[in-house]
Amino acid sequence: MLRLVFRNQLKHGLRSLCTIGAVAVAMFLLCVLRSLVSTLDSAVQASASNRVIVQSAVSLFVSLPESYYSKIVAVEGVEKLTHWNWFGGKYPNEQQPLNQFGVRMETFLDVYDEIVFIDGSRQAFERGGNSCIIGKDLAAKYGYGIGDRIPIESELYTRTDGNVWEFDVAGIYESKTSNVDNMTLFFPYNYLDEARDAGLVQGPVGISIYIARVAPGYDPVTIMAAIDEIYENGPQRVQSSSEATFQAMFVSMVGNIPLLVNSIGLGVLAAVLMATLNTMLMAAREQIHDMGILKALGFRDGHLSMLMMGQSLLLAIVGGLLGVGAAMLAGPFIAYSLGTNFPGYEIHQSSVNLALGLSLALGIIAGILPAWRARSLAVVDALSARA
Amino acid sequence: MSDANISIQSVSKAYTRAGETLVVLDKLDLEVPAGEFYALMGPSGSGKTTLLNIIGGLDRPDSGLVEVASEELSQLSNSELAAWRADNVGFIFQGFNLIPVLTAYENVALPLGLQPLSKSERHEHAMYALELVGLADRASHRPAQLSGGQAQRVAIARALATDPGLIVADEPTGDLDRESADSVLELMSRLSAEMHKTILMVTHDPLAAESAGTIVRLDKGRLGSIDHKTAAPGAAAAGKGTA
Ligand SMILES: Nc1ncnc2c1ncn2[C@@H]1O[C@H](COP(=O)(O)OP(=O)(O)O)[C@@H](O)[C@H]1O
Ligand SMILES: [Mg+2]
Repeated sequence: MLRLVFRNQLKHGLRSLCTIGAVAVAMFLLCVLRSLVSTLDSAVQASASNRVIVQSAVSLFVSLPESYYSKIVAVEGVEKLTHWNWFGGKYPNEQQPLNQFGVRMETFLDVYDEIVFIDGSRQAFERGGNSCIIGKDLAAKYGYGIGDRIPIESELYTRTDGNVWEFDVAGIYESKTSNVDNMTLFFPYNYLDEARDAGLVQGPVGISIYIARVAPGYDPVTIMAAIDEIYENGPQRVQSSSEATFQAMFVSMVGNIPLLVNSIGLGVLAAVLMATLNTMLMAAREQIHDMGILKALGFRDGHLSMLMMGQSLLLAIVGGLLGVGAAMLAGPFIAYSLGTNFPGYEIHQSSVNLALGLSLALGIIAGILPAWRARSLAVVDALSARA
Repeated sequence: MSDANISIQSVSKAYTRAGETLVVLDKLDLEVPAGEFYALMGPSGSGKTTLLNIIGGLDRPDSGLVEVASEELSQLSNSELAAWRADNVGFIFQGFNLIPVLTAYENVALPLGLQPLSKSERHEHAMYALELVGLADRASHRPAQLSGGQAQRVAIARALATDPGLIVADEPTGDLDRESADSVLELMSRLSAEMHKTILMVTHDPLAAESAGTIVRLDKGRLGSIDHKTAAPGAAAAGKGTA
């Protein structure tokens, strides 16, 4: 019986392949899109509840004055304050800029305590100058180690002497949470600032965002309100948010992805269900005569339903496995091409389970009608149908 | 297992099509003792196939009693009837009705899958049946790679594989040339003589009918003359007496 399932599908190899291909493409898409959503979700979930992010009330792309540091750090309940500036530099032989940030070195590692060193040391980093720390994935990708010098070209901060920027690796870190990825380079903002004082830099002045660590026992909401209040009347208004809100806002800048993904997913599923059902209805019609023979030989209605259901499941499950397999193989490449927009992209187990579960459901649904037809066939009618 | 008598009483079957009722079988009676080889002849459309299908448990009459191999078929549910077919009936059709995607061996082994047999027993039975029809060397051929005569012999092997008491054959030589037809008929005679199978064979071909011990004629839904050639000793003696 199992042999009949396979042979019947092999007989129409091209058609079976097309159907399997359609299922595979659908499941691939589903898996990838679903993983995108869970990646974004998990960054939001992993956000620290004790961090407050302060940005310009106008836009994330408008810088804040450096002088704000002293006033924000003075707000009651702000334990430590650091800040980030996006550097937007390219590594050698790369087309796309990756993530580098100039940070307030003295407090950075206190505010981000999920960052732990796996090589080098905090002391080496905090010697300052052109020292930097890099994520372990970045180190692995380009083969950088402690003491290596990394040349970087930034389109945002260009050097007037025509040289490229150079940073010396003082540490390699690993992040314990998914909201900080392992592909980033952090260097002391001072280094950039001093180069500017020396007249070596062209680029925006000011700080992209400030990040405050809330002292234990203080309510972040109160602190956010207090910070916003300081600059209510200028010179430049700020907007504070929790890290989770900030991440979610960043996500919404890319569009309402979850809704989009769900509607695309549903559409793709419906299309592939029709394709599979179509194949199965054709198969059922072609095999009417065979089913008449099987019934004559004493095979029961249940056997024939299984023959149809088996073929449907074969198409759907092989397709599903191929699609999910391809999504898993392509995972690192997709993560790479998404670059810094979606840090920490990976195929989640839940997406794999979902895609495989949907494949199974697809196979069952596309098999029901042919299976039901198979059982309701009268033997004599089926036998008189020409093969 | 070779104890399949056929006893049908007052069997009727009619089809209604476009408001017109066509009576195909009209209160028909027929007795075939176990182990006999009967040929069923009659003009096209006289209801031969319909009768054969009813006896083989593929179709049901509108009324009447059908007892085959000591089982009253109207008492059986559809799935019981299917199980009964698997155990008691071997079918041979005009168009061979082999499954094209399976090899000769797989076709023969197919009905054995419904029997409580081990894998090696299934293999043994299937090979034995193929040897019996002289086609063991074609075991791995697909139906399309066989001649008509070979395909029909594979179909006979399939009908035999489960060792049923009854073989029903609907114009088994209808699509074959004379030579192939003769080898098929010779095989059927051996099944009856050596293996004591009850055989009911529909045929148009008078030569084919000669292989059977008894010829029954069907016309307009009723039985006509019954010709016993070598059948019951009494009938044979009576035949000699008048000669
Ligand atoms: N499913 C059916 N529906 C309507 N009429 C049928 C059906 N099957 C057979 N018949 C009619 O019943 C008659 C007897 O058919 P059949 O038993 O096949 O005859 P034979 O085998 O003797 O040629 C024919 O007239 C045929 O058209
Ligand atoms: Mg007929």
